Amino acid sequence: MKKELFTKVASTRQEHNEQMHNIGRLFTWIALVLIMLVPVLYFIQAKTWPNWKVFVAALPGVVGAYFIVGFIEAISYAPLLGTGGQYLSFITGNVSNLKLPCAINAQNIAKTETGSEEQEIVTTISIAVSSIVTTLIIIVGLIPLAIFQSQIVDVLKPISPYIIPAIFGGLMIACMAKYAKVALIPFIICVIICVITEALNLGLGQTVMILVGMVVSGVFTAILYKKGKL
Amino acid sequence: MPSTFSIVWIIGGVIVLAVLVMSIVFLIKSIKRAKAIGMETSTIKKIITSSAVFSIVPSIPIVIGVGILMSFVGMGIAWIRLSVIGALQYEIFAQQLVFNAGAGIDPIQLIGTSLLLMTFGIVSGPIFNAIAYKKYQGKLASIQEKNSKLMDGISGALMGGMLSGMISSIIVTAIFNFNNPITDKAGITTYGEVTLIALCTSIVLMALCGVVLKVFKQKWIENYALPISMLGAMAVAYACVPLFA
Repeated sequence: MKKELFTKVASTRQEHNEQMHNIGRLFTWIALVLIMLVPVLYFIQAKTWPNWKVFVAALPGVVGAYFIVGFIEAISYAPLLGTGGQYLSFITGNVSNLKLPCAINAQNIAKTETGSEEQEIVTTISIAVSSIVTTLIIIVGLIPLAIFQSQIVDVLKPISPYIIPAIFGGLMIACMAKYAKVALIPFIICVIICVITEALNLGLGQTVMILVGMVVSGVFTAILYKKGKL
Repeated sequence: MPSTFSIVWIIGGVIVLAVLVMSIVFLIKSIKRAKAIGMETSTIKKIITSSAVFSIVPSIPIVIGVGILMSFVGMGIAWIRLSVIGALQYEIFAQQLVFNAGAGIDPIQLIGTSLLLMTFGIVSGPIFNAIAYKKYQGKLASIQEKNSKLMDGISGALMGGMLSGMISSIIVTAIFNFNNPITDKAGITTYGEVTLIALCTSIVLMALCGVVLKVFKQKWIENYALPISMLGAMAVAYACVPLFA
């Protein structure tokens, strides 16, 4: 591994991007190996094997609900997260509820232009800081959890469903001017889809609705583009 | 609560260390590049501060998630699973699938099997990044080069779509849950009325921050507008939950 990959300051955007990819892929492979080692080491110390019958029985639910969605999310979030942000977000998680809103907030504060290098850098910095803060908060949180697990969970559990609306209400206002033109009609269509699916008791959930919203908005933007109204 | 094997704590420590090192490397590289292209140090500091402040409140549900998940799989596994990609609802879903399918089987084996399933379920995103993301981004970059208007349109569409999908889901689900609170597999109850109150409070507080910024020329508030609206909405939600419980 070349030391300069980590130490050299890139002189062009392309070189910086290349460095981000190389570092990102290296850390992604390291993280993947480490994450996959967890169950292996667990079974070694437990001196047992996975119950393959149970695993196979439960597998289709997880593949349908998460494996495929994870793959689609990686493709659809890529243009929004920037190179460094994409690699970091798909190791540390919490993309739609934490990393992306955090990045949008930072972009608004720095007033970056869409597609600019500044936007890419601001996004990576905000996601890196967010990842560090969250990781440290979880570590610090383990101590009181170990001592007062049930009391802490009992006190804080009732408000945990309201973090997402608390974030996205403000974020919607902050982004309204920027995205109102492309998002208004898709928003109305998404509301109609949500009402129909909820009425049929087929609630799609936030993760799937985000992907539906992206598809609807993509189609709508393509129509605007073809009509020369973008 | 199930106990945690020592090896799980050790590998958890290594994973968390790797995540921190990765984040710090990206942070330093980006700061250096930001300075190289002439971004002001004060802007970089502003981004770091606002991102750190912003991230505190949304991290709390993750800690609560560890508290809930540890009841089923032990503290070490819950800590690892929620420190890397994944989410409480997914981990609980996978754990419940395994525990339901394996009723009566040794719990140590079941916990390990659910851990294996959770791990398998979340690797698709990182595998895509490790193998195909560079090529995919190259394609996006070539669109940007040939037709920046189209690429900006795609980015705007994805961002607008993300917001549309999320907010429509929040509002419609909340309205359908009026007088009909939903309790999920982790035992967390959501009241539709409180969801809408939190959303509206956040909107109002953000609008007020905008007024303070524009009318009273208080520029400092720009960096803290989102954390303020988020915290305010959470406080109002906290006060409202007992009214509907």
